[in-house]
Amino acid sequence: MNSSLWHGSLWLAWRQQRVLAGVGAAVLAAAAAIAAYYRSGMLDALRSGLFDHCDPGPVSCTRSDTGVPLLLDIQPLQYLGALNIALPVIIGVFWGAPLLGRDRELGTHRMVLTQGVSRGQWFASRFALAAATAVTLSGLLAGVFAWWWRPAADRSYGLFWYETTALSGSGPRVVAAALFGLAAGTLLGLLARRVLAAMGLTLLVTGAMTLVLEWTHKTRLLVPPHIYTSAGSVPKLPMGEKWSAGHYGLITASGRRDDVMNCPFPSGAQLKDCMDRNGYVARFYEANPAGDYWAFQWTDTAVLGGLALLLTAVTVLLLRRRI
Amino acid sequence: MTGPDAPAALRATGLGFRYRARSGWALRDCEFTVPSGRITALVGRNGAGKSTLLHLAGGLLHADAGEIRVLDAVPGAPEARARVALLTQDKPLYLRFTVADTLRMGEKLNSSWDRAAAEQTVREGSIPLTARVGELSPGQRTRVALALALGKRPELLLLDEPMADLDPVARGEIMAALMAQAADRGMSIVLSSHVLPELEQTCDWVLLLRNGRIELSEDADALRESHVILTGQADQADTLAGCHTVVHRRTAGRQLTALVRQHGPLHGDWHVERPRLEDILVGHLQADGADDMVRPAPAERTEAAA
Repeated sequence: MNSSLWHGSLWLAWRQQRVLAGVGAAVLAAAAAIAAYYRSGMLDALRSGLFDHCDPGPVSCTRSDTGVPLLLDIQPLQYLGALNIALPVIIGVFWGAPLLGRDRELGTHRMVLTQGVSRGQWFASRFALAAATAVTLSGLLAGVFAWWWRPAADRSYGLFWYETTALSGSGPRVVAAALFGLAAGTLLGLLARRVLAAMGLTLLVTGAMTLVLEWTHKTRLLVPPHIYTSAGSVPKLPMGEKWSAGHYGLITASGRRDDVMNCPFPSGAQLKDCMDRNGYVARFYEANPAGDYWAFQWTDTAVLGGLALLLTAVTVLLLRRRI
Repeated sequence: MTGPDAPAALRATGLGFRYRARSGWALRDCEFTVPSGRITALVGRNGAGKSTLLHLAGGLLHADAGEIRVLDAVPGAPEARARVALLTQDKPLYLRFTVADTLRMGEKLNSSWDRAAAEQTVREGSIPLTARVGELSPGQRTRVALALALGKRPELLLLDEPMADLDPVARGEIMAALMAQAADRGMSIVLSSHVLPELEQTCDWVLLLRNGRIELSEDADALRESHVILTGQADQADTLAGCHTVVHRRTAGRQLTALVRQHGPLHGDWHVERPRLEDILVGHLQADGADDMVRPAPAERTEAAA
């Protein structure tokens, strides 16, 4: 194909998306500035020696003199995580839905497509530019989050890996989610008659998808938890930085699991008596170890990335019929 | 350009199109050839399929049956996109672009671009290049859209109701500019219009659509020569039967006025007038579709159909 026409269609795509790209860059710059400010404050607090006596475990530590719980200021970090979680919705509504929808509503695609460029060039150049910008923006925002989070990661006075803002607001899944939002918005912009309707539908679809993935995290649907058992009545393994699934109790010799309330005693003679009486041989709990952060990340990335590819393929197939 | 070997500007064979799989046909069984180098008037009533035909020729729609060729190329194919320009009825433009941006876009999106021609078209309308398209009047916008179409130096220019937003002076100017370009470069033009008088002077080929079918595809002069307007006693209508085609007729009392396509000498006592192209087109647009041959039908019937 004529390379000057590719150049031309990219020029037009940039001409129409440069405002959005500018807004994206401004948001990124603001996030980076805020991150640098609060991160240095966090490092100062850590260097002060106040947290040196704290265990890495989930039990919050207190000031040795006053007994007040010691916590880092991680609220702004969680806001950035929340922004990263909302990114597919924002990108889908404001970038994806108007990408084809605006031209279709105004009829301007007819003017562009009667020039020298083909439908394929027109779509490919504008979608590629939007996708590249979305990947860059989401990747850098996820990077900023990781950089900011690292000193406070998995500390009782910081942010554990399984907190929603950390698990869903960091890593490669943020990039895949941004692409999913863009692809969903683009397709809905092609299907809906009006841009506003497309934006509303995109809000619904991407919002629902975000909630569904949060639900799969909470129920451990895609990343099942491990079962940790402690034989007899010896003390349980510490939960540490594992993410409890909320299921725990007693196991009989045949493997039956029962509610912990059947023997509601702390470790000791009473518990041992009770367990012997009822035939329990061990205690158990279900939890995801810290390494499962990546299992959650990659399953989310696969689901969202796969959906993004699928929706883009549908858009390409429908392009000739709808435009 | 206009010799016998030149490709037809437009050629359709068995062309059919419908907007939805289960809806009626917007165009059906269209079969015609428009030679190149012609200024073609595409006429038809509202909903006859004019815009659909132009969109098919411009590659914005795809035929559901048969085929259409522009300059022997498939509409929408790269060689067709480079040589055919289409200006659609709504004349969409990016309202936030300046006029200069819009022309720059034309330059970027076409493999060849005649900046001088495009800027001249805009300048003739005294439109400042720095103005935003959204601030222009509809007529000025039409001119910018036309500049975009002319800048790519098309061999075939398809115009859908181009003059609808223009004042009479601008109409004349733009028509003159188009005719000059057509003459200079042998550009073919197909333009649809409801304003029949403006076609009288400019068009030398006629494509007439009715209910999605092509009714006429003929040289304008040949049409003028073959048609007559007859006025006379209604009871001698039978003398027309068989040898001539009555396109349209109107009876007032015992007097009959008929637009007739002549196939040989006339018999009977008729007052004969040469019709203008407009009369011929209106006659064909009003005609009772199914059967153009005159039938011994009661006069009320043709009256009702008129």
